[in-house]
Amino acid sequence: MSALARRAAAILWKDILSETRTRQGFTAMLSFAALVLFMFGFAIGVDNDLLGRLAGGLLWVAIVFTGTLSLGRTFQNEELAGGTHLLRLYPGDVRAIYLGKLAGNLVVLAALEVVLFPAAAILYRVDFAAQAGPLLLVAALGTFGFSVIGTFFSALTVHLRARELLLPLLLFPALVPVVLGSVGATEAFLAGDPLGRAGGWLRLLASYDVILFVVCVWIFPVVLEE
Amino acid sequence: MSLAVAAEGVTRRFGRRWALRGVDLAVPRGAVVALLGANGTGKTTLLRVISTLLRPTAGGVEVLGHALPAGGDEIRTRAAFMTAGGHAYEELTGVENLRFAARMSGTETRDDDLRGALAAVDLGGAADVPVRAWSSGMRKRLELARLGLRPLELVLLDEPFVSLDEDGVGLVHEAVRGWREAGAAVVIASHRVEDATRHADEVVRLAGGRVAAATA
Repeated sequence: MSALARRAAAILWKDILSETRTRQGFTAMLSFAALVLFMFGFAIGVDNDLLGRLAGGLLWVAIVFTGTLSLGRTFQNEELAGGTHLLRLYPGDVRAIYLGKLAGNLVVLAALEVVLFPAAAILYRVDFAAQAGPLLLVAALGTFGFSVIGTFFSALTVHLRARELLLPLLLFPALVPVVLGSVGATEAFLAGDPLGRAGGWLRLLASYDVILFVVCVWIFPVVLEE
Repeated sequence: MSLAVAAEGVTRRFGRRWALRGVDLAVPRGAVVALLGANGTGKTTLLRVISTLLRPTAGGVEVLGHALPAGGDEIRTRAAFMTAGGHAYEELTGVENLRFAARMSGTETRDDDLRGALAAVDLGGAADVPVRAWSSGMRKRLELARLGLRPLELVLLDEPFVSLDEDGVGLVHEAVRGWREAGAAVVIASHRVEDATRHADEVVRLAGGRVAAATA
């Protein structure tokens, strides 16, 4: 394992250990996500056909809203421990910090989705299981893109006073291609993809993910400069 | 004698406020330098510049033979900075905090080594207790244990005596002696003049972001 990967793994280990000790953040996120899913259900009413058609969009909006809460906490534990900048005192490439935090966000969001997908399936009466393979690919690509840009903006806003407001303001516009691609592909697969549109959405997602990842990893050291 | 730190005309500005105004500092290898001065005179800012955390607005800094900022990574491998506030994760135990520090530093350590480092600063009994239950003095001792995990050529200490009881202060003195004997340079920024100057080969007083006096 390279030094970069070892240091990223150390950050992931530390963050997961801290999260499992408290569990407050994850429990609150799950409760919030459940509330969002319920609210959408109540707002749309008992029209099962409409709920089924909108399920992909509603699910991804719930993931983005809830995930934004999680992303906002990405560097907060570093601030409580003395400051994110102190991680820069360790030798080695500071990109390990970004990669470790990104991996942590992926784990948390994946855990969230493990609960959200079945919950949405029950609430909105859609059969995700029939398209489990393709939907897993959509979830992986969408979650990766969301985490890549969210982790970056979380680091960018950690020292700002209005970070709770600024993070979504910066994040949501940048997330438009990720949300469009994820919702488009999810809806296409749920409908059986009769027009073969899912491939296009997946290509959009994958391309955007790669571009975002390269750019964020490249410029992350500048974000940590004081 | 070769220098561990050679700073010339170091200036640092935060917005409109000048924290450092042309500071010259020379710290020989194996020497202990006490950095004194009132609050806001630039002691911590100077340590942060030397530690590679901050880029100077102007001036040149060479640390352990490497010019900043280019040689930052090499410097961080051989130097360490104990900040006044410390660096500890509340939910992790003492031994887990040290394990994280060792992994981030690329140091190979066994569990026994980590527990030994904690026992050396009288924290052996609290090794498996989450840091959130620790006092500020215990957290300071944890910082000392963290610095002892790897060989160092330059140690920067910002207010190392704060929050410590008499025994804790003694541990800091013992550590400073040990680093000096091992050939490392130590820079101590503190308001506790007697403690900061006990081992000092040179005392540097800062005032208004400038070196007001330097006495050997």
